[in-house]
Amino acid sequence: MLSDRQIIEGCAKHDRKAQQILYDKYSRFLLGVCLRYATDRAEAEDILQDSFLKIFFSIRDFSGTGSFIGWLRKVAVNTAITHYHKNLKYRYHIDIEDYVSAETGVSSFEEDFYTSDELYKILNELPAGYRMVFNLYAIEGYKHKEIAKLLGIDTNTSKSQYSRARAVIREKLEILRRLKSNYSDSK
Amino acid sequence: MKEKKEDKNLRDLFRHKLDNIEITPGASAKTGLMRKLGRKEFLRFIPGRFNIYYLGGIVAATVAATAILIFSGSEDDKKSERSHVPPVDLMMEDFTDSMYVSEEKQIIQDSGISKTTEDISAESAVYDLEERSSENINIQSKQKNTIREKDYLSISDITGSISKSNLLIDTGADRNNLKSKLLKKEPLFEPSVTSGCTPLKIRFISNSGSSCSFHWSFGDGGYSNEKDPEWIFDISGEYKVTLNVLHSDGSKEISSAVITAYPKPVARFEMLPEDAVIPDDEIQFINYSTIAVKSKWEFGDGAASDLFEPRHKYEKSGNYTIRLIVYSEYGCADSIVLVNAFAGSGSFIDFPNAFIPNPGGPTGGYYSFTSDEAASIFHPVFSGVSDYQLRIFSKHGILIFESNDINMGWDGYFNGQLCEPGVYIWKVRGSFRNGEPFTKMGDLTLLKDSQ
Repeated sequence: MLSDRQIIEGCAKHDRKAQQILYDKYSRFLLGVCLRYATDRAEAEDILQDSFLKIFFSIRDFSGTGSFIGWLRKVAVNTAITHYHKNLKYRYHIDIEDYVSAETGVSSFEEDFYTSDELYKILNELPAGYRMVFNLYAIEGYKHKEIAKLLGIDTNTSKSQYSRARAVIREKLEILRRLKSNYSDSK
Repeated sequence: MKEKKEDKNLRDLFRHKLDNIEITPGASAKTGLMRKLGRKEFLRFIPGRFNIYYLGGIVAATVAATAILIFSGSEDDKKSERSHVPPVDLMMEDFTDSMYVSEEKQIIQDSGISKTTEDISAESAVYDLEERSSENINIQSKQKNTIREKDYLSISDITGSISKSNLLIDTGADRNNLKSKLLKKEPLFEPSVTSGCTPLKIRFISNSGSSCSFHWSFGDGGYSNEKDPEWIFDISGEYKVTLNVLHSDGSKEISSAVITAYPKPVARFEMLPEDAVIPDDEIQFINYSTIAVKSKWEFGDGAASDLFEPRHKYEKSGNYTIRLIVYSEYGCADSIVLVNAFAGSGSFIDFPNAFIPNPGGPTGGYYSFTSDEAASIFHPVFSGVSDYQLRIFSKHGILIFESNDINMGWDGYFNGQLCEPGVYIWKVRGSFRNGEPFTKMGDLTLLKDSQ
């Protein structure tokens, strides 16, 4: 088994074998990241492919000091952002008003209650703009100011999209909870 | 504070559940990636890997070598008196075309203009088939002129070129037969349609047995290994769909088809004036649709128009549903429907919640928007109102004011007496000019003039 260092050196030389090993080792992790930014599996795999192309061609830029997996993840997130910009004009824009709804009364959601698949589905169904902002802010931990810069939007837009995204997600979580508890009750 | 806590809960939920999740990508993702990688690496200079720069070097070297050969060859030609077919023919695919070139070369060389010949042959080697054939038609006509102008070719010259052309036509015919045989081969798959509007959904039915393995490439970066895949082309364009079939005996077959996805128009329109009052205003429709070549309007009152930006006047008030359908040059359509186009547009009625009556005595209640700056009359602000009835009640439910004239408000007096300061109830009923009825009620505070 090659170490990360050896794999990176191999990839820097465009060694096909090293590239394959890198893919086999990290593609599952990176697809987990990409899927959060996509509407479906196919789009996620597209982003994954582009991410790996970027990784293979810029692996020399990886300084070797920080965490390699962190760097990979950053490349994937940036690719997802590029993808979002590229596809922006082809997406159906969903009217924001369709999604504005009252905040649900529930204040917390049990982690064990939901599966990752369900959470992915909720993210996949979000309007693209909401999804980007929510991912970047809530999961990646970027500041609204940074998100605004990355997405080319206003800081306030980032904030308001985040809060709307949150409202939609809460509503969906709540619906899901009701559905699931009804189901388990009826059993 | 509560919101912050809720936010953290939500973030933690997603962070904990989705971070470091591993999902295995499909096998096609890897093969697709490797293919893209190969292509991309080919286009970049990477030492130690065959790429376009090396290829370019090889091509340049070959071209240079060929040029030198041709040049020295034509020198030889002159010396050895038009005895062999020029090497350029080897690069030609369409022999009927090349016939003219060779003839011309022959003839022009006879007339001693060898430089032009070289230019033409070098050029035609580079052009694609289509460009070349049109080029050659020109050459052909040019050549005829040459013959006509120079009527002095010796008979032996002509027979020489004719016999050569016969030879070439024969070879060309053979080649054509071969070509048509290749073309007659059954395609490996059948798309359900070959062109259509985006999003274009196509099912590809392969003609091979299911024991083979299938590798589809849809030309837009998408791949599939299914036997009869279904694919949606979201973006307009021409896509070359290729199927590689690997038979169980190890033999391979390849077949491709071109799919054309036409762009879908987008129907969008606006109306002017924005706050139109129906039926008073004539409506101007502004068409913002993209790539539309044909528009069909339905105004909702039975009238229709095919103009790009029509004007329309409604006969009576009402709620109309306006529909616009646009078609692109390829017949792709999009439509937009505006339901209740004039609902509430330009029509409203609102009341203030307080006023200070004139203490000097009843004023009659008539007001104008310019003179009523002191707000001594209780009256609405409105637009597009046709019927109107305002009634004001005291706290005890006694009707103290009624008006059917929107231009007459309440001056704060009842039977000639100034009413007590306090809260009163108002109720208004009526309808707008577009036919929509309204009923509103609320309270108002009668304030005392402090002076």
